[in-house]
Amino acid sequence: MSENIFPHHHAEEDRGTAETRAVDASVRLPVLVLFGNAVHWLVVASLISFILSVKLIAPGFLGGVSFLTYGRLAPMARDLFLYGWASQAALAAGIWLMARLSGRPLGGILHSTLLVSATVLWNVAILLGTLAIFAGYSTGVEWLEYPNWASAMLLLSFLLIGIWAVLQFDRRANERAEVAQWFLVAAFCWFPWVYGTANLLLTWKPVQASAQGPIQSWYCGSLLALWLLPVAIAALYALMPRLVGSHLNRRNLATLGFWMLLLLGGWNGMERLIGGPVPAWMTSAGVVAGVLFLIPVVIIAINLLGMSAHKSADKNSDVEEGVVIRFLRTGIYALISIGILGALCALPEISGALRFTAVTEAKTQLWILGAISFPLFAVLYESFPALLGRDCWCASLSARHYWLTFSGLWLLVGLMLFGGLFTGLALNDPTVSFLNITSYSYPFHVLECGAQLMLLAAAVILGLNLSRALAWDYLFPKKK
Amino acid sequence: MHRLPTLLSGIFLVFLTSWLGLVAYPVLGLGRLSPVADADTGGTLPPVYGGQAVAGQRIYATEGCVSCHSQQVRQTSITQTDIERGWGVRPSVARDYLRDSTAFLGSRRLGQDLSNVGVRLPDAAWHYKHLYHPSSVCEGSLMPSYSHLFLLRKIQGARSDEALNLTGADAPKQGYEVVPTAEAKNLVAYLLSLRHDYPLPEAPVKKAGAGPAK
Ligand code: HEC
Repeated sequence: MSENIFPHHHAEEDRGTAETRAVDASVRLPVLVLFGNAVHWLVVASLISFILSVKLIAPGFLGGVSFLTYGRLAPMARDLFLYGWASQAALAAGIWLMARLSGRPLGGILHSTLLVSATVLWNVAILLGTLAIFAGYSTGVEWLEYPNWASAMLLLSFLLIGIWAVLQFDRRANERAEVAQWFLVAAFCWFPWVYGTANLLLTWKPVQASAQGPIQSWYCGSLLALWLLPVAIAALYALMPRLVGSHLNRRNLATLGFWMLLLLGGWNGMERLIGGPVPAWMTSAGVVAGVLFLIPVVIIAINLLGMSAHKSADKNSDVEEGVVIRFLRTGIYALISIGILGALCALPEISGALRFTAVTEAKTQLWILGAISFPLFAVLYESFPALLGRDCWCASLSARHYWLTFSGLWLLVGLMLFGGLFTGLALNDPTVSFLNITSYSYPFHVLECGAQLMLLAAAVILGLNLSRALAWDYLFPKKK
Repeated sequence: MHRLPTLLSGIFLVFLTSWLGLVAYPVLGLGRLSPVADADTGGTLPPVYGGQAVAGQRIYATEGCVSCHSQQVRQTSITQTDIERGWGVRPSVARDYLRDSTAFLGSRRLGQDLSNVGVRLPDAAWHYKHLYHPSSVCEGSLMPSYSHLFLLRKIQGARSDEALNLTGADAPKQGYEVVPTAEAKNLVAYLLSLRHDYPLPEAPVKKAGAGPAK
């Protein structure tokens, strides 16, 4: 099945059946617009992150200007990564994969127009929301800083796009649903629920603050584990079999992984509040869910790696691997890493020492930029040639993008883990003054700047590669 | 799992567990906590904030202080550090946040925990100077300057008693003074109101009269 859903695009003549071409043509515009915007927000977010990392070694850098202070830039960058880049790329990936997997073209011009309008709405909301934080209108709720009107626009826009993806599942041509399709349906159903609930209770009509802690943690956990991660996993399940020339052989493992991920995904967020001002059972739930979350993650990773092990056993492994498969494979390793790191950080002793240090930030980065972004990059690289009808990437730019993101991410995460470990141990010794501890982390902060610079360069290179592809398409349109 | 309704009901049921536990329960349980009577003063605990502090809370939100500061003293079963470092005399509980519009629990401590900063640093003048230029008060501070919450103006007549006593490179030119804006005053009022050193039924304070009298 998957063989012909994702035909090999390297051979120029073999660009799939007429059927997949029709499917691609029907989602072409919305997917290009979504991915294009996602990448430009990624560049902006990476730039702000770089500035933030400089501010941690030189607090006076761009100082004295209200809208450039750390406290305003930090939520701007985080939200751009979450909603500008990751969520938007997940929408693009979700639409394209869902259309391909269901084997039916998107119905009519109306849908395409509707999707593109919704995409414009999404991006206007991001732009205005970001400017609002800039100008000092943040709500101050972590990860939900956009003012109410901007978050309402985001939700509306998502509904317009997401409903279509869910309906497409029902219209699918294949009798037996693909594993990737379950993950996509689940993700697209959850985002509105998660985002709507959290905004309603925390920003639109805030509940009494004594109840807000668990809801905030639940939101952060669910946004990552129930919306973005399932889309990334769907991408892995959809693309891996085709690229390694194998097929999924343990469907029951996938089923188990799917339901466990769903069950634990929401509870997993409580890990962020272990020992906090919540009833003791919530702390315990956070510990248990954080540790157990390792299980579905490992099951899914084994399931996926099983496919690629298959391939290296019977094929020559010195064939140069494409950039898509490299992104996918690193995505799987990042997935395993978030499972292990999450389980460790949920242990009460470790959480007690490290929860407020850079270790938490390392974990978040590994989620957003690793386990979530790498599979999304893979879909981006895979979908464009199909949508534009040509090998549109500059191979050397793609390879550089991969290496810079790869090394930048692991360097950043490694530095944050070590830096966090040092400060955590020092914090536990009350005789060490707080300012002393700040000075311990200085060398780590300096090196983190370097890592952020690599990630910024990677994002810019991706942006160039993508602009180049779109420019070629515009200047020399492919004859239909 | 091949029919949309089956899949959707499964997804719904699984999702409902965490939603009930971490959203519905907090709203119906923690969200209905009420203040308790304070036997000593006849008021209520947690104490009601003044209007200035309520306005200051907005500044705390919009300036993103929560990106670097937490406001929670953790349970002693998890860690002793927070109390040993003098960030509070007892762990925070849900009822502590009753008067807040947003619970600024935070996830990072690039700066100290602020749940009891009003107890620790009760002097408004210190806060003004610190906000204006953090590293002039704390050598090597990572905290950004909030000088945009202050006004540099020409002294008219006598120097205002609100003017900051700045020294060194921060000192304004002869004939000028730096005064806090209304926003800075509200923010500092909010910081000074951050004191959770009173006992609550679910969170007793061990030592009697633990507030520092300094
Ligand atoms: C870049 C991170 C950062 C941001 C943003 C930040 N701070 Fe700080 N803050 C620090 C650091 C680091 C310290 C410790 C050094 C010092 O006292 O300056 C600190 C210390 C403090 C202290 C003294 C606490 C004590 O116990 O000594 C107060 C009060 C404070 N900050 C208030 C604020 C307020 C109010 C805001 C928002 C307007 C804010 N901070 C934003 C990093 C930050």
